[in-house]
Amino acid sequence: MANGQEEKGEVKEMTGAKWEREQALVQKILEKAPYAEGRVRRERRIEFKVPADRIRDFLMTLKENNFELMLQITVVDWLKEGEYELVYQMWSITHRTHAMVKTRIPRELDKARMPTVKDIYPVAETYERDAHDFYGVYFEGNEKMEMPWILDDAEQGLFPHRKDFDMLAYVKKKYKILDRFDENKDNYVI
Amino acid sequence: MVDWRLFEPLFEFARKRSLWIVAFCTGCGGIEMPPLMTSRYDLERFGMMPNPAPRMADLFLITGYVTPKTLKRIIITYEMQPDPKYVLAHGSCPLNGGIYWDAYNAIKHLDRYIPVDVVIAGCMPRPEAVMDGIKKLMEMIENGTADGWKRYRENYEWYKKNQDELFGEGWREREARRWIPWLMDKKKKEK
Repeated sequence: MANGQEEKGEVKEMTGAKWEREQALVQKILEKAPYAEGRVRRERRIEFKVPADRIRDFLMTLKENNFELMLQITVVDWLKEGEYELVYQMWSITHRTHAMVKTRIPRELDKARMPTVKDIYPVAETYERDAHDFYGVYFEGNEKMEMPWILDDAEQGLFPHRKDFDMLAYVKKKYKILDRFDENKDNYVI
Repeated sequence: MVDWRLFEPLFEFARKRSLWIVAFCTGCGGIEMPPLMTSRYDLERFGMMPNPAPRMADLFLITGYVTPKTLKRIIITYEMQPDPKYVLAHGSCPLNGGIYWDAYNAIKHLDRYIPVDVVIAGCMPRPEAVMDGIKKLMEMIENGTADGWKRYRENYEWYKKNQDELFGEGWREREARRWIPWLMDKKKKEK
């Protein structure tokens, strides 16, 4: 009980001082990685923007600064800007802090290439395969890239989570049901 | 010789009272199974129980949406069951796609690929609704209208045609061989 109260007091102090602990952490990391931009989003959440070719250096810096775990690699498809945003979500047990490491790469399939971070965080192998399966980002150096992952043979190579993938037309073609999926929704038979 | 057809009503009564379920949960309805099986809605009083082996099972519960990848396993498991076999589909997703009506990876009409005896609508149906469906299925078994397994035999060409259209010809063998190149690392290195 005493412990819990102490923690609550700590949290209040931190919010009062505009997340001092997180600011110090960001400063410490940015000193070692001057090519990155960083900011504090809120208490226990920090984020960085890194150029795509320096991602390996940056993740090594993070690992030296006690970010022990990689939680996820998220891909966001920005169709108008023609870019994929890759968000490497890192979690530190020591600092009790999430770090979102954001980087941007072009979304054309032949240019969407990233260096793998498998040797820094072994779990990244799985997440990279995931990103490749659904978005077509190719991670160079990950030898399991061509191995089948979640998608079935029929969708392999279609990258169905890209924004410009015509889902409705594909569903019509695949399941051979036409009358239910009228775009005008006049003929909406369920 | 005994004419076993005479005893058919007795057999149907016995079948209705000892439905064993394949322990194969697809989709979100698997979470409705524990309350259904355990003390609150206690299905075991009807002589039903989940059973790990499809060779000994009578009832196949499709609990929720079915992806093409799962459907391959469902078809294989369904064909492994011995012959009076019944299929009960939970929820709107096997019925017409449900909320996945425009998703590339969910089956829209399950009854094109395997015969379905009873469909329970809802998203998700409560355990009471499932029990109602089971009661309906028991009635159907007793008066002989739960004949999905006969329909599957008689119309096998039609079902097979639909399955092949979705998965491509020879999908069983392809699925069995799919992982072989990736499992045999040594052979790959030699190449």
